[in-house]
Amino acid sequence: MSRWTYFAKRLVLAIPVILFGTSLTFFIIYAGPVDPASAILGQKATPERIRQVHEQLGLNQPLWEQYVDFIVDMFTFKLGNSWVVQPNTPAYEVIMNFAPRTILMGAWAVLLPLFIGIPLGFYAGLNPNTLGDYSASFGGIVWRAMPNFWLAVMLMMVLSQSEKFLLGFDWENFIVSTNVAGAPDMSNIWNFHNFLKASKLILPASLVLGSASMGNEMRIGRTAFLEVKNSNYVEMARAKGLPGRTIVWKHIFRNALIPLIPVITAEATVLVGGSVLVETVFGINGIGWLFFNAVMNGDLPLSGALMFLFILLLVGLNILQDFLYTVVDPRVGFESEG
Amino acid sequence: MPSETDQVDSTLVQRIRQNPTPALRWGVVMAALVLVELGALAGTVMSIPWDVPVNAVANAVPVLGDVFASVASVFAAAGDAVANLPTLLSRELIPNRGYHVPGEGWQNTFMGLEPKYAWLLRVVLVYVYAFVFLYWAWRGYLVFRRHYRYADWTPTDDIVDRFRGHTWGQFGLVLVAVFLVMAAFAPTVSPVTQETNIMQPYGHNVTYYDAEAGGVQTVTVGTANLNSQSSGQQGNVGPWTYDSYDRFHPAGTLPSGKDLFVFLAYGARISLFIGIIASAIAGGIALALALLTSYYKGLADMTAVVMSDAFSAMPRLLVLIMLVFVLRDTWIMQIYSGAFLLALLFGIWGWMGLWRSIRGPSLQIVENEWITASEGFGEKPRRIVSKHVAPFVFSYLLIYLSMSLGGYIIGAAGLSFLGLGVTAPTPEWGRAISMGQGLITTQSWHISIIPGVAITLLVLGFNAFGDGVRDALDPKAGGDGDASGEAAAAGGGA
Repeated sequence: MSRWTYFAKRLVLAIPVILFGTSLTFFIIYAGPVDPASAILGQKATPERIRQVHEQLGLNQPLWEQYVDFIVDMFTFKLGNSWVVQPNTPAYEVIMNFAPRTILMGAWAVLLPLFIGIPLGFYAGLNPNTLGDYSASFGGIVWRAMPNFWLAVMLMMVLSQSEKFLLGFDWENFIVSTNVAGAPDMSNIWNFHNFLKASKLILPASLVLGSASMGNEMRIGRTAFLEVKNSNYVEMARAKGLPGRTIVWKHIFRNALIPLIPVITAEATVLVGGSVLVETVFGINGIGWLFFNAVMNGDLPLSGALMFLFILLLVGLNILQDFLYTVVDPRVGFESEG
Repeated sequence: MPSETDQVDSTLVQRIRQNPTPALRWGVVMAALVLVELGALAGTVMSIPWDVPVNAVANAVPVLGDVFASVASVFAAAGDAVANLPTLLSRELIPNRGYHVPGEGWQNTFMGLEPKYAWLLRVVLVYVYAFVFLYWAWRGYLVFRRHYRYADWTPTDDIVDRFRGHTWGQFGLVLVAVFLVMAAFAPTVSPVTQETNIMQPYGHNVTYYDAEAGGVQTVTVGTANLNSQSSGQQGNVGPWTYDSYDRFHPAGTLPSGKDLFVFLAYGARISLFIGIIASAIAGGIALALALLTSYYKGLADMTAVVMSDAFSAMPRLLVLIMLVFVLRDTWIMQIYSGAFLLALLFGIWGWMGLWRSIRGPSLQIVENEWITASEGFGEKPRRIVSKHVAPFVFSYLLIYLSMSLGGYIIGAAGLSFLGLGVTAPTPEWGRAISMGQGLITTQSWHISIIPGVAITLLVLGFNAFGDGVRDALDPKAGGDGDASGEAAAAGGGA
């Protein structure tokens, strides 16, 4: 099987995956023990108003018809309206209001570990069994065991009293003056000063979100580096008399990246799941915060739409991972089948 | 000839009968160890809410259900009776609750010791007992291996011996054991019981010496709690201090004035319950699927791949938030304050990484000749996989189970940090972190910091244990496993 056939097969398999997730979301929301209408109305529920909401949501139709409608709506991106969080606003608009902050946070959360975790791991792999290697590895292990939300709480404490904890370093007035936590202003984000300000506000949250991946990237980077370093073709390159720099960058680095691909994409799951907690701690009103509030306030149609988008995002990233594999590693498709 | 087959097929009982001394020596000590703690042991068993499944069955099945319920009630009565037996390490034997009368010293405590030391003595005794017990159980395995096992050597011996030389893995095992003991002996290691301090503070009293009134006074625990709150500037009862009612708080108090150590000890129960049950469910699904797909391959494997992708495509923490909200008023949320529901959901959304990690090894094992051979003998597929494949796959599963267990504990703590999941007032570590979040920069820092450290240590312990098992199973693998297993351990971002 050629690697592109393999990739095409993965693309086709994504359809039942998305369908399953969307169906499950439907059954949780519309066939579960909670009536969406009474969840939306909360205290104000009267039989009359419940009937109205039922009609508007199409809940008076048979379940299978609701199901077909829901699936068709979702797959054609008719995400419906928000009911409680921002009443009578299209879900699409609400999500667009909240998404930019999470996207900025996620971008930094992917980049930070890449630029800290991988170099540290490769450094440890270059100098195995030294003090630096041991402290980097041990630090990574402990770091990984810490719950993200607790780390966020701790980081808040340290940064809000940065003079006391960081030897007189003043985080609040570092580069640009901002608060330690809070929602960044996303208007005029293309202005450099505004971008800097928003990034600085969001950086602690990104650091926390990226922390688990940072530890993983470091550990796996170290092993991959060690494995590649001791492989035959590197020895061959050394025997040819190639300079050390060329060996490291051309022969070791590229191959050591392969096992890191799934770690980087697995981060997406961590990002989507962790955004709820981290955004709550840092007071950032992004997508995770929106989802949590939509569920807790009974805005189930909105939370269903969000869940559909999350599923799309995760499946998309999985496909991207396979695409990267296909591009980076020519062996894909020859070894495994599925 | 007959004597030879006798020896080959002799059962364990026969072998013990032939050479009873080592077994007897071990058994006597073990019996003594069990006897002194029989009451506590039964107490732990009885603290599981048995009535919930029993009532469910009794309600579901008309006549037989009633019979079942009455039989169960006999067991419950017997269990409670055993649970009330005096035990060596009970609170009553070494009481730490007392009050200080100037000039007369401490009243009601163990031998007039300060409550601090009385409590410490009890905790040290509990841990000494528990570790002696665990060591003796391990000795039991060694005795069996040396005197009674038919084979002189099995491959498992090598794995066990490699683990004995793995300091990091043993460190993890000890950390896990420390928390397991804390959970099992929660009523004994706590300075006061959960019942008096957290569940029904207004139904219990506390006696103390009031200097102004010049005598011994009695108030309800609830009133005392109100005056020993840790809320930053307004008042603080830090770790390792006494409050104004002479109550000792090893880890300080919560903003509500309740004891943080009691909260932690009983919270360990909930966390470990969720972690272990969820692991059992996820591991069971993963193992069953791995056996099924590796044996039948083809369509079965394809279906499992799609199912696994489908479940992983839904972010676990967010689905759980949704499900816990939707199921909040149902009967399943009532079981063990919602911990059972959490364990179930974490299990259902936890098998994918495990299955993917053991799929490779199980596919390899099925390729072996002995599988073809047993097929040739006409053995049933079920027997083949359970007898010839499962034991090999199980050891791999153990590695990833140990790592994902930490993820479930972190996930459950994250949910209760958000105010979901385990319902108040049942202790859950994440809720303590959320209670102390606003006070972390004040002198009441302990409320958030200590539970967080506890989670980190417990998860670290499970991860280290997993590392040790992996190195013991496969010394060649050396460093790290594959990335999907690593990602499975990350806890879905909580």
